[in-house]
Order: sequence, then C-alpha cells, then structure tokens
Amino acid sequence: MYDSIILRNVSRLMFPILLLLSLFMLVRGHNLPGGGFIGGLLAASAFILQIIAYGPMYLRTTFQINFLNLAAFGVIFAALWGLVGLVTGQAYMLAFWLKEPIPGIGKLGTPVLFDVGVYLTVIGVTTQLALVLAEEPTLYPIQRPPARRDAVAPEA
Amino acid sequence: MLVLIVLTALIMAPLGLFARYEPRPVIGWILAPIPLALFLAISALTPEVLAGGQVVQAIPWAPRMGLELRFMLDGLSMLFALLVSGIGALVVLYTAYYLAGDPGMGRFYLALFIFMGAMLGLVLADNVLTMFMFWELTSVSSYLLVGYKHDYPEARRGAQMGLLITVGGGLALLVGLVLLGTAAGSYTISEILAAGERIKASPLYTPAMLLIFLGCFTKSAQFPFHFWLPNAMQAPTPASAYLHSATMVKAGVYLLARLHPTLSDTTLWLYTLTVVGMTTMLVGAVAANRRDDIKGLLAYSTISKLGTMVLLAGMGGPEAPAALVATILAHALYKGALFMLAGAVDHEAGTRSLARLGGLRRAMPWTAALAILSSLSMAGVPILFGFVAKEEQLYAAVDNGLPPGLDVVVLIAVVTSAVFGVLYSWRLVSGVFFGAPGSGMKEHVHEAPAGMLIGPAILTTFSVVLPLGLLPTTGTFLQPAVDAISNEAAKISLYLFPSEISLPLILSMTALLIGAVLTRFEPQIVAAPSPLPPWLNGDRIYDAAVDGVLQGATVFTRTLQNGKLRSYMTWAVLSLIAVVTPPLLLFGFNGLTLPNLDGVEPFEFVSMLLIPIGVIATLQARSRLGAIIAASFVGLMVAYIFVIYSAPDLALTQLLVEILTTVFLVLLFAVLPASFERLTSPAEQSRDGLIAVIGGLMFAGIAFAASSSTELSPISQAFRAESQTQGFGDNVVNVILVDFRGFDTMGEIVVLFIAVLGIYAMLRLRPDASLARDDEEAPVRPARPDEAVLHGNGQDGRSAPDAREAPVAGKGR
Repeated sequence: MYDSIILRNVSRLMFPILLLLSLFMLVRGHNLPGGGFIGGLLAASAFILQIIAYGPMYLRTTFQINFLNLAAFGVIFAALWGLVGLVTGQAYMLAFWLKEPIPGIGKLGTPVLFDVGVYLTVIGVTTQLALVLAEEPTLYPIQRPPARRDAVAPEA
Repeated sequence: MLVLIVLTALIMAPLGLFARYEPRPVIGWILAPIPLALFLAISALTPEVLAGGQVVQAIPWAPRMGLELRFMLDGLSMLFALLVSGIGALVVLYTAYYLAGDPGMGRFYLALFIFMGAMLGLVLADNVLTMFMFWELTSVSSYLLVGYKHDYPEARRGAQMGLLITVGGGLALLVGLVLLGTAAGSYTISEILAAGERIKASPLYTPAMLLIFLGCFTKSAQFPFHFWLPNAMQAPTPASAYLHSATMVKAGVYLLARLHPTLSDTTLWLYTLTVVGMTTMLVGAVAANRRDDIKGLLAYSTISKLGTMVLLAGMGGPEAPAALVATILAHALYKGALFMLAGAVDHEAGTRSLARLGGLRRAMPWTAALAILSSLSMAGVPILFGFVAKEEQLYAAVDNGLPPGLDVVVLIAVVTSAVFGVLYSWRLVSGVFFGAPGSGMKEHVHEAPAGMLIGPAILTTFSVVLPLGLLPTTGTFLQPAVDAISNEAAKISLYLFPSEISLPLILSMTALLIGAVLTRFEPQIVAAPSPLPPWLNGDRIYDAAVDGVLQGATVFTRTLQNGKLRSYMTWAVLSLIAVVTPPLLLFGFNGLTLPNLDGVEPFEFVSMLLIPIGVIATLQARSRLGAIIAASFVGLMVAYIFVIYSAPDLALTQLLVEILTTVFLVLLFAVLPASFERLTSPAEQSRDGLIAVIGGLMFAGIAFAASSSTELSPISQAFRAESQTQGFGDNVVNVILVDFRGFDTMGEIVVLFIAVLGIYAMLRLRPDASLARDDEEAPVRPARPDEAVLHGNGQDGRSAPDAREAPVAGKGR
C-alpha cells in the first residue's frame, strides 16, 4: 500500500513480536493490565500493520484466515463457556475454576476461556473491518482481493 | 412431561429437512408419528383430567420478574392440544403427498413443526408471559407458512399482512396481559382467574381487557381485522387446513375462553364480544356466498364460525360454554377435512374456481363422498356432528345472558348465519362435484392419491361417528373443557334427537328449510352487490396504512439520514442534550462541589490543558492529515490522563483504540483531497459550534454532579473486595469484564460482531451500480482465483472483462 522499504521491513519484524505481546496481554489479563479486549486489539494491530505495509492481498494470500468466521467463532466460543453453569443446573455464566494451576499457563477457569472468545472476536472484527476498508473499490480501485469467495451473492 | 410435549415438536422441526430426499411421501410416514406420539402422550394424561384434576409443570426462568415456563393441562387445553397434535399428524402426512413435487418441502416441514410446537405451548401455558411468547411464535411461524411460495407477490403480501396484523395485535395483548398481571398480582393464569373478582373491581380491568380483546380479535380474524385471513389463503393448502381447523386462528378464541370463567359477565365483556362476534359471523357468512375460489369460500366460512365462537364466549347464559366447546370440535373436524379435500381437488383438477370446476363426483368419487359428508356437517344437517353443535348454539342463543332486545337480535343473527351456512355448503358441493364437468379443469382428472385422503377420511369419520352412538362419551370427554370455561357448574348434554319439539329445534329446521329454498336463487345471491360500503374494505385500508407508514418512514429517513455525517452528529448530540439537560438542571446542582485541586501536580494540569488545545487544533486544521493527527492527539492525551490516575487497563485500551481509529481514518481519508473545502456557511458553523459547546458543558456538568454525589456508596469498593475472593483475579477491571459482568461483555462482543456484519454487508453486498460507476474511471474486474496474484502494489487483477465474473453482488433481491 505504501511502497516503503523501511515500513515493510519493520512491519515484518514487528509482526511476531506484536502477536506474542498480544498473547502475553491476553494471558496475564486476569491479574495484571491486559485481557481479551486489549490483547485482541494488539493482535489486530499486528495484522493491520501488514495491510498497510503490503496491502490487503498479502494478508489474504499469506494467512488465509477468514476473519469474519474467526469473529463468529469467538462469539460462539465465549458463549460456550457460559453454558457450563447451565449444564450443572446453575446460572448461566457461573464461573468454574480448576483446582490446581497448569504449569506454564497458570490457573485455568471458564472466565479465562471466555476472555479467549473475546480476544478472537476482537481480532476478527477489527481486522475484517480494516480489510473491507482497504479493499474498498471506491477508495482503492486498484486493490482487489484475489478471489472474493466470501462475497458470494445470495442465490437468486 | 408437558414441557417435553411442547419442546418435542420444536426440537424435531429440523427433521423436516430430510424431505429433500426421494421418495418424498416416505418422509410423511416418518414424520407423522411424531405428532401422533404427542397426541398419545396427551391422551395418556386424559384420565387425570377427566377425574377433574390438572397436570401442572413449572420451570422457573426469571422468578423475580414473575416469569416461569409453566404449563398446565386442564379440560380446555387438553381439547386444544389433542386437536393440534391429532390434526397435526394428519396434516403432516397429507403434506408429503400434496407437496411431493415441490423442492421446498423441507422448509415447509420445518415451519410446520415450529408452528405445531408454538401452538402446543400456547394452549398449555399457565403463565401469561409464557403464553405470549408462544403466541408471537405462532404469528412468526405462520408468516413462514403463508409466505411459503415467496416467489409470488400475493403470497408475500398475504404473509406480511397476517404478520403485521397479528403481531400488532400481539403487542396490544402484551400490554393487556401485563396490566392484567399487575391487577392480579401474579402472572400465573390460574392465580389470575382466582383473583377474578378483585380484577373486575380494579381500574385496570377496562384497559387490560380492551387490549386483550384487540389481541384476540386480530388473531382470530374478527371484524374489522378479518381481511387478513382470506389473504392468508396464499399458503399451501396443508398450512391452510392446519391454521383454520385446529390452530392459530382459534388462539384468540382460546384465550377468551380461558379468561371467561371469572373475568366475563361485565358489561364491557358482554357487549364488546357479542357485537364484534355477531358482526363477524354475519359478514363472514355473507361474504362466503360471494366467493368463487373454494379456499376463499372456506376462509370466509371460518371467519363466520370464529365470529360465532366469540359471540358464544361473550353472550353468557348457562348453555354458551357447552355450545362453544361443541362448536370448536365440530368446526375443527369438518373444516380440516374440507380444506384438505379442497387441496386434493386443486391438486388434481388444477383450479380452485367454482366457475371452472364441476361434475367431479365421477372422477373423484372418494373425495366427493368425504366432501359431501363434511359439507353436510358444516351446513348443520341432522345426524352429523355439525348439527349437534348448531343445536347447542341455538339453545345457547335462546337462553342467553343478554339484556332484552339484544338477545332477540343475537337469536336472529345465529339463525341467519345458519341459513347462509346451508347456502355456502351447498354451493361448495354442487359447484365442485355436481352439474356439468367444468370447462377450466385439467383433462383426465383422477382420484387423489390415498395418502391425501387418509386425513380427511379420519376427520369426516369423526364427524359422522361421534353423533352416532358416541355422544355420551363425547359429552364426558368435553365436560372438563366446559368446566374450565364456565363460571358456574354447567353440564354439557349433547343430543341427536330431542325428546320434545322445542324452540331451538323449530328454528334449526326453519334455517335448513330457508337455506334449501335459497339455493334456488344462488346466481342472484352471488351477483348481489356487497352490503358493506366500499371504503370499509379491509384490504384497502390496510394498503393505505402500510403505504402511509412507508411514506412517513421515507420522510423521516430523508430528514434524519441525509447522508451527511455532520447532521447525524447534530441529531445525536441534540437528543442527548434533550434527555440529559432537564434532570441536570432540576437535580444536578444540589450540593454540587467543585473537585478538589489540591493534590494536582503542575505537569498534570499542563497535560489536561493540552486536550482543549488539541481540540482547537483539530478545528483549525487545513489538511485532512493534520486534522486526523490533532484528533488522535486528543485521544492520546486522554489515555495519558488514565496513566496518571493509575488506570493502566483503560489507558491501554484507549491507546489501542486511538491508534486503530487513526488507521481507519487514514484508510478512509487517504483518497480524498488533501485539504478541506468549506461547504457550510458561517451561520451553520456557529449553530453547530453552539450545539457542541452546550453538549460539552452538559457532560462536564454531569461529571461534576456524579463526582459530587454522596448518596450512594461507590460500587468500586465492593468489586475490589470481591475480585480476589470471588473472581480469583487481581485485575479488578478484567474480573468485572469476564466474570461479574460477563453477560454484558457477551452482549458487547455480539454487538461488535453484528456491527462488522453490517459494515461488511454495506460495503460488499450492495448493488453493482456504485461499482460500475467507479469502473468507468478504472476498468478493473475482480481477479479470478486462478490468476497469478502479486502481493504488493496492486499491480494485479487487470484482466480482460470476463463475463463469468459479472456482478458478484446485487443479484439477489
């Protein structure tokens, strides 16, 4: 998008660092500043940086992630962990925690997994938004996705 | 058990999608046992109900709001539940043959089963809110059924009309039910009925009842809302048979009957229901005789019978409950059969017009025999169950609870509708099965397949057999329903041959005789002009109302959504000011204390001052990029303030959101001219500036008022105290987000997702017009999947126009 060697090299370097940082933010969120929303925005920034440096097509072809599906999965994943309470005959979204922490990850409970759902939703929504804007033909007539598989018209 | 009965139909609904596979009729034989099993399950509970008991099952849902999934089986709900499941089984089987050649049969079954479940839930519910939920679900699922043939504009119109009218009435009903529940102090139907006297004395009684009446009248197609029902004839015949015989249109009658025991015999109840029911009865009976379409004729006869039922629910008297129950059963039996037979005729002969049909008794002997028997029952000819029900109606009309004058009018009206009933029954039979073979039919008409005749045969058999020897059993079976409706002990006594010559019998015979004579004058009656003035045409009023709403919405939208972001902001800020200012001016300044500035360090003060400077810089910016940077600066300074006051979570979020907002703004602005143009006059600018300043002052005022408030202790302490012990986390903000208020967060991410769907739809799935306009300047086609794609500067996708790639979006309507 912006034909800049510096931007491209920096964004290539930054990408894994930003993703790692976002995961770090997500995991530590329960006790320290961070969490699903912040982590998700960070990860989305990592993706959007690639869009700015290389254009939307690069993101589509290199990662092959359907961000709309990712967001939908995030919503369902988050809702899923609320059901645990319902299944055991208690209120929806009642929290459940493992007794012992898992080495390397920490103590796991349904709120943490719910946060993972938030994380995925935020990544999906934000990145998809940037993609849609960056591929907007009225704004950027040259830029087009390789194949608009996800924009199939409803059957007539 | 009852919950299971209701849920089974709903859960089994997706099974209908198997109807995609051949051979189609088999799916009918696989699916029909489901409602049959429900029928048997309800029958298994019959002894308990016959013994005078009730079966109750309750699952708390939102107990503090009085909301629970509460189901109760008594005589009335048992009668309806048996009709819904029993006729449902026959309709499911019939559908497999009727729609055998239709690719959308799976979709139809899906909607049919949802409808069945909703209807069972409606009649079994013992909580008015539960009942309302199922009530609206029947409207929605019947919308899907009526609009099944959605390629036809008439089907879409009929479906939409039914939905708008019944759901609109449903909204009135909801308010009425809430008022009723408030007056009774409970939302449980049995408790509401127990509090009947108190409710009648309450000032809420009149508004509650009027709203409930509105809901019932729209649902049960009472005059003047009756016109949606003939339009709903666009539904495939199985759906019509189901909607008319057993289910949806009787929901209003059901609710009136349900409330009858303790809420009736007030002037309001007596007069409203009597007048509306009587009018509907006569309008439907007259209109049925002017119809050429056999389904239209049957639809208007249903309207007439629904009017009769509402009249019976309204007029009081010792015999009315028994007559109501008998009418419900008789009507379900013959109307279900007649609709299915009308579908068979349509299916085989290819037309439903009385003028084009005729002489089908030879080609379709079985259909003819069943239709004749059911029509005789509809006409109220002796020894059929329709006759038994009509006798009950006449007894009720003779011995009603109305004041003198009105009671005679009601009696005459009932006899008149009986006369017309004879006439339209005769028209149906003679027009379709007798006379010369019709000219507009397919050639070589054959008898309908056996699968389409099983349902009508069973229903017709009941119409014939019930009076012939099973009357005492039927009476015993219907007695609990009568008990549930009547407000005093009433005995149902069905009879076939009266022991003595009584007034009702004389009236009944007179009606038959006059009806028989009138059949001689059928052409004149059919050609007679409508007795109603033309402006009273419901269809026209409906169309005018819908057009008016659409025009109003267009004007409203043009005013509010004129495509200028500036005016959206103006409206948003203005409405916020309108909502926020009055309470702030009234209460906000009591005990207002200015914030304590003692502990504020100079650098904090400076950083705060930088925010208004950023705002002014944004306003003064001459280039877009400058404006974006200045606006981002404001956001960053807010994040910095969060840092100063040790809110790292907020600061991080604000920082990230600010960065991404800037990125999005740059994405949008990058292709616009670099500098702004002035498109507003100085007057407009000062007006907008004034609105902005007032809005800002209001919000500052709210912030001060909130921080000065000492009445409520801050909630933060409780959260801080419990986050470690209850939520097992040190980060209070995050624990609130994912645990204490996790449900809110759930809602927020759903909103996020819906927002992205909306943006996606707006930008991607729009008509190609806008794309074409751009392509004039840059003739670019979307690249094909097999084309080599370079990432980078977009030097791709420039291929020759490809017809196959033509409009990606915008094909669908």
